Amino acid sequence: MNQADVSKLMSQLRIAVRSNKRNLKNPDGPEGRLLKLRKTVTALVKHERIELFYNRADEARGYAELLISNAIRHGDRHKATMELADYWLLEKQLVHKLFKVLVPRYENYNVSYTRMFKAPRDYPGIYYRKSVLELRGNPYPVLTQDNSQNRNLLHNVLLDEARKEFRREKLASLANKLAAETEETPKPTVEKATEV
Amino acid sequence: MNVNARFLTNRIAQQCAYKRIVTFSTKPTEQSAAAAVPQQQQQQQHDAVAPPVRKPIVPAHYRFVYPEFLPDPKVEWRNSIREKLERLDMLNRRRQIELPEFYVGSILAVTSSDPHAAGKTSRFVGICIHRERCGLRARFILRNVIDHQGIEIVYELYDPTIQKVEVLRLEKRLDDSLFYLRDALPEFSTFDEHMEAETLEEGTPVPINELKVVLRPRPWLERWERQNLRGVANIDQYLKDKHRKSSEKVQKPWEKYDLMKQYRATIPEEEQKEIFAEVHTELHTLELQRKRNKRKRTFVKPKHLA
Amino acid sequence: MLRTVICDLARLRLSGSTASSAAVVVTQVREKGHLSRPRLRNPYWFIRPQRSQTDDLVTGENRSFIKEVIHDTYGVPALIKGVQTYEQRQLIKTPQASATEDAQPWTPNVRRCGLIARKIGQYPLWLKNGERVRTTLLQVVDNHVVKYIPPEEYRPAQQPDVKHLHRYGCLVVGAESTNPALLTKEYCGLFKDSGVMPTKNLARFIVSPQAALAPGTPLNVGHFRVGDFVDVRGKTVDHGFQGVVKRHGFKGMPASHGVTKTHRRPGNIGGGGEKGRVWPGTKMPGHMGNRWRIIKGLRIWRVNTKYNVMWVQGSSVPGSTNGLVYIYDTILPLRRPQLAPPFPTLYDNDAEEQLPEDIWHEQVHNFNEESITYKPE
Repeated sequence: MNQADVSKLMSQLRIAVRSNKRNLKNPDGPEGRLLKLRKTVTALVKHERIELFYNRADEARGYAELLISNAIRHGDRHKATMELADYWLLEKQLVHKLFKVLVPRYENYNVSYTRMFKAPRDYPGIYYRKSVLELRGNPYPVLTQDNSQNRNLLHNVLLDEARKEFRREKLASLANKLAAETEETPKPTVEKATEV
Repeated sequence: MNVNARFLTNRIAQQCAYKRIVTFSTKPTEQSAAAAVPQQQQQQQHDAVAPPVRKPIVPAHYRFVYPEFLPDPKVEWRNSIREKLERLDMLNRRRQIELPEFYVGSILAVTSSDPHAAGKTSRFVGICIHRERCGLRARFILRNVIDHQGIEIVYELYDPTIQKVEVLRLEKRLDDSLFYLRDALPEFSTFDEHMEAETLEEGTPVPINELKVVLRPRPWLERWERQNLRGVANIDQYLKDKHRKSSEKVQKPWEKYDLMKQYRATIPEEEQKEIFAEVHTELHTLELQRKRNKRKRTFVKPKHLA
Repeated sequence: MLRTVICDLARLRLSGSTASSAAVVVTQVREKGHLSRPRLRNPYWFIRPQRSQTDDLVTGENRSFIKEVIHDTYGVPALIKGVQTYEQRQLIKTPQASATEDAQPWTPNVRRCGLIARKIGQYPLWLKNGERVRTTLLQVVDNHVVKYIPPEEYRPAQQPDVKHLHRYGCLVVGAESTNPALLTKEYCGLFKDSGVMPTKNLARFIVSPQAALAPGTPLNVGHFRVGDFVDVRGKTVDHGFQGVVKRHGFKGMPASHGVTKTHRRPGNIGGGGEKGRVWPGTKMPGHMGNRWRIIKGLRIWRVNTKYNVMWVQGSSVPGSTNGLVYIYDTILPLRRPQLAPPFPTLYDNDAEEQLPEDIWHEQVHNFNEESITYKPE
């Protein structure tokens, strides 16, 4: 019912976005919340992989994505983008990293620039959900599970066999059909031949 | 080996065409698009060079000219089918009536059917001080001072009782909404009822009127000093220190860096393109038609005078 | 109450087995939380639809094979009337032959089937006299009849509030076909005999035996006509525990002028003397929303058969946008249809011949028509 803001143009995020923000408990209000997130975004750009509480990571992720997409869209000659980078990156040498390293890295990406994983909680400890936030294309070893040997799992072996049988049956039925058609079609020609 | 691997990754990158991530639950059209993608990929694998799909190029200024075609960015209220039906209805209405381009600060004349008026129509001339809402609910407020009495009328853009919308002067002001005209001296919102339409040359950008308005002394309807208005000349004259302090306290200078807040208040560029690609051809033909009509009208006029 | 009785019985049995002379002590359990709290989960005998999702490490090849089998049995995914579903070719699209043979005519007292729909939003329409009406858009989402239970077999575990229930049968209708691999085996079993693909949503409609439909019949928006009145049932938006200002619209107390500690409180909740207690039904803080509500007698202003959408009067249809609602013929006596509606429903083949894409009520201004003008008197 309210008109969308047309003064700004932003590119679509490639991550799922919550409909509303999390307040991230802070005595300084919204400004303090942003400071918290600035620290997280700075750390993410600096270290490329960080482990932190899920809520804060999820909030910071959107800001990091938009910062990178803005940097790609406008480049380092755009004043407003430079101001944004200056605000969001607390360590100023990282501004160079953003424009000189990350922008070339992500220019041709079709997927999101960051990844997030759920991390285990330490027990006993603070009972908050934890997560790992990382930039794609980082130099560290991958965190995802190695799925290359999954085909050896029992259910996959069984499914493989079922698939083969399914294909075989389909082929057989197709062949039967073809055979039936070919049997039907020559008959009239044969009859004609006899007539002649 | 190395070259091969790079080639492969390129191929993979091309294949996994970026699908939009849906942030709300029901979006059948997108799901269908997602379902259609694998088939397209298969086709592409079969014939290596597929003919590129030509899409109509949507002008960048459309989002300013037709802001009501963009849906409410609140995701809980969005539904692609509803938005589509709404757009179709809006286009149907636009085929019946000429709804010209105008902005906050433009001077309009609206003729509408009125069962209580003599002749059953009423015409109101005024400055547009506000535009709001989207879709069929889109509306704007016209303000004028008539017989020393400030009058404002809220018109719904797609209301079928509206018979004619004329833009008498196409221009923008320095601010996005001009509610402060209510507290300004009456001459700033007084416009002649029999004003003639001023023509703007084709291709020129919409001029921005840098007129600064003179406010009346307090009491005001709103605390204008808190709103960072650019179109007010004499606001400092009425401020005491306590006003300055309190207005400083409510400023939110960090909001221009709050990217996610801006993201949640806008429709992303890709989605805007999709929406306008759907309505673009129709709107464009209507625009051309309007221009043709205008030319005819301007042609006829001198004859009348003679 | 029930719990006290059960406790007492258990204690009796225990005492009976151990010491026969133990006395029975009745302890009262005071519970009335259930009065203001909505039920959050279904009763235990309901079949759980969703399977618990775990990463089953199926290889990509096998995953596509499973998909292929599903498409083989139910049809390929298709966008039908604006809803993403599956092309279910095996269904009997129009069991007209059987329907026309033993079709009984419509009578005013007959109960017809309803529809499952989604509330997709709201926008205004204008009447021909220039009046603006707010309308809610309801999209009928891929409805199929799953099962008919005749009156003699219909013994529901929970009795619906219908007079002379023994005269009516029950129609089970499903909406929004989905991948059966995501559902439990037991839930899929409900669809086994119908031939319908398992659906995300199910609803039962109490119908007269004349209005019974064959399993697999698709239901569309043509089931209702423009100008008819409908009742819409939905679950209201959950607001959680709310105070009286939000829940009942109390005014609260002044913010200043010496008022302390009471700004949004209810104030007095009862008198003294003989009525010195809190009367039942007193408006107090509590859980707001998340209840089933029926809004009755909404007029259908417009129907779009291409997307299966109907525009109904008003903006107070219960539930959120994109939420599920159920549409029935109205039970309000003065708004019930005078002329026979499509009975038992409008079949697809009939629809293609008759219904145009957009149907407008005669009083509603069509956006394709010229602007409204008033005639001078």
